[in-house]
Amino acid sequence: MKILVCLKQVPHKDARLEASGGWIDEGGIKFEINQYDTYALEEALRIKDAGEAEVVVATIGPDRTSQALRTALGMGADRAIQIWDDSLSGADSLTIAKLLAAAAKDESFDLVLMGLMSDDANNSLTGPMLAELLGLPHTTGAMKIELSDGKAQVERELEGGSLQVVDLPLPCLITVQTGLNEVRYASLKGIMQAKKKPLDKKGISDLGLDAAAVASKVTVDKLYVPTKGEGAEILEGSAGEVAQQLVGKIKELGLL
Amino acid sequence: MELELTDEQQQVVASVRRFVREEIAPLEADLDPDASELAPEDHERLVGMARSMGLYGLDIPEEFGGPGVDLVTRTLISIEMAQHRAGLYAPCYGVFGGAGLAQLYEANEDQKERYLYPMLRGEKRGCFALTEPSGGSDPARAIRTTAVKDGDGWVLNGEKTFISGADRADFAITFARTDPEKGRNGITCFIVDTDMPGFRVRRIVHTLRSSHYATELEFDGLRIPSANVLGEVNRGFAIANDRLSRNRIPYAAGCIGVAIRAQEMAIEYVKHRETFGDVLATRQAIQWMIVDNEIDIRTSRWLTLDAAARAERGESFRTEAAMAKLVASEAGGRVVDRVMQIHGGYGMTKDLPLERWFREMRIRRVGEGPSEVQRLIMARDLIGGSFH
Repeated sequence: MKILVCLKQVPHKDARLEASGGWIDEGGIKFEINQYDTYALEEALRIKDAGEAEVVVATIGPDRTSQALRTALGMGADRAIQIWDDSLSGADSLTIAKLLAAAAKDESFDLVLMGLMSDDANNSLTGPMLAELLGLPHTTGAMKIELSDGKAQVERELEGGSLQVVDLPLPCLITVQTGLNEVRYASLKGIMQAKKKPLDKKGISDLGLDAAAVASKVTVDKLYVPTKGEGAEILEGSAGEVAQQLVGKIKELGLL
Repeated sequence: MELELTDEQQQVVASVRRFVREEIAPLEADLDPDASELAPEDHERLVGMARSMGLYGLDIPEEFGGPGVDLVTRTLISIEMAQHRAGLYAPCYGVFGGAGLAQLYEANEDQKERYLYPMLRGEKRGCFALTEPSGGSDPARAIRTTAVKDGDGWVLNGEKTFISGADRADFAITFARTDPEKGRNGITCFIVDTDMPGFRVRRIVHTLRSSHYATELEFDGLRIPSANVLGEVNRGFAIANDRLSRNRIPYAAGCIGVAIRAQEMAIEYVKHRETFGDVLATRQAIQWMIVDNEIDIRTSRWLTLDAAARAERGESFRTEAAMAKLVASEAGGRVVDRVMQIHGGYGMTKDLPLERWFREMRIRRVGEGPSEVQRLIMARDLIGGSFH
C-alpha cells in the first residue's frame, strides 16, 4: 500500500493577519499544517499502523513549508516532497493540482488523501481537480474510511447531518472532513528521526513541466475586510421605540 | 550565536503546547480550583499518552530508561507544561512522570534496588529533608540534626521543617551533622525509611498553596544502619548543593510558563473588554502593562535558556541559574499581578486561575533559595572569595 497525503501550510489560527494586495502579509506570522490535512495524515498513518504502507507527504510552498513536512515526518510519514518556484506565488487551484499530479504520476499511489479544503483559501477545489488529472475516482468530505479487497468504503457528511456511504475502487482520491479521527501527538523518537527521513525539493522543471503549462488562470484582485456597518442602519431609542421602528421598516420594505 | 530553536525543539514545544491546551485544560475546567490531582482514570489515560509521546519520565537519565532530552529542550518543555491553572506546582498533574529524587542516581547498587528502582516504578515515594527551623539557605551552618555513630549504624536526633510530602513518603533523603567541627564537611546524607522507629511527622504546615502543604519532621533517637548512608560520610553537603543549583532552572521555567499563559489571557481580554465606550486595549495604561509583561517574560526566558545551555555544555552555570531563578520568580509575580489588575474584579475570583498563580507565585521568591540568597551566590561568583 502506497499512500500520498497532500498537505498545505496555512497561517496559524492565532496569527494576526493583515491584508496585502491579493493576499495577506506573510512577514512575521506563524504557520501550521492545515487542520483538515492533519486528519488526512492521521488517517494515512492509521492505515500504516494497521498493516504495511508507505506514507508520502507532499506540499507546494516556499522554504517555510519544509517545517510542515518535518512535522508530518515526525508524526510518522516516511518521506516528503516539497515543490516550489517563486513564480508559483499566488498559484490557483488548478496549478496546484497540476503540480501535485506531475509529482504523483510515476509513483502509482494506491490512495491519495487530503483535507476537504484549506483553512485559508476555502476553495475545496484541489482534491477533485487532482483526481481528475490523475484519472482517479474520488469522493469528498469523508467522515469514515474503510479499506478492504481493493476498495474503499467511505461515509460522507451531507448537509443536515445525514451520511452517505459510497464505494470506490482503489486507487482513488479521498478528501476528508475534520473530526474523522483523533490526530496523534508526534513522539519524541519520531521527531528526532524526522531529520533523517528524505525530503525532496523539486522545481517546476524537475516535474517535467514548464512555467507556461502551470501558469495560473485565476488572479486575485483584492483581499480586504469589509467595513463594519456599511449598509446597516442602527435603530436608537428604548426597546419599545426600537421595536416600533423595526415593524415600520419591515412593512415599508413589504416584507410582511 | 544561535538563538533560534531547532526544528526538533519547535516540534516538541508545539506538541506539549497542544497537549496542555487539548488534554489538560479541558479536564482542569471540571476540577476544584485548588485541585492538584486528576481523577485516577484521567491520570492513567494521560500517562499512557505521555508514554506514547516518548516524554514519560523526562528527568530520568537515559541509562535508567528516561527519554534522554537535552537540558535546553527540557527547559522549553517545563515552560510549556506549566501553562495551566495547577501548572506552577503540579505541571500537567504529573502525567509526564515525576523526576523522583536525583540524588538516588548516585546511590550504590543495593540502595538503587531498595529505593531508586521502586521509585521509578512508582511503588515508593521519597521526600527531600534538608531545611531546618534554624534556616534553609545556609545548610552548612543551619543543620543541627545530628547523627552519631553507634555500632554498625547511626542514631539521628533533630528536626526539619518545610518538607514537602513527608507525610506521604516512604523514605526521606535526610541531611544530618556527623562532625560538629567541620562545617560543610561534617554533613552526611541518609536515606531514612519513614517507618523507622523515631521518625515522626510532627505537624502539617499550611502555606499559600491551597491543596499542598509542608511538614515538620522530628527524629527522636532514630537508629539507621550504615547501609543507608547515601554517598560518603561527611560528604553530604555536595549532594545537597548540586541539587539546589540544578533545581533553579526548572523552577524558573515554571514561573515563565505561568507568566506566558497569564499574558495570553491579558491580551485576549483587553481586546474584548469595554470600559467607557472602548476596549481596554486602546488605553495606554493597559498597553504599558502588556509591554512590561512581555519584557519580563522575554528577559526571564533568555536568562533561563542560557543557564540551561551552559549546564548542557558542562560549563559552570551557578551564577546563571541563580540569576534565572531570581529574575523569573520576581518577573512572574509582577506579570500575574498586572494581569489580575487588568481583569479587575474577575481577576480576584476562583473562576480564573490568576488568584491561584498569585498565591503560588509568591512562594517562588522564597522557595529554592530566596532572592537574597540568589544575589549572595552571584556576588560570591562575581567578586570572588568568601565574605560575610
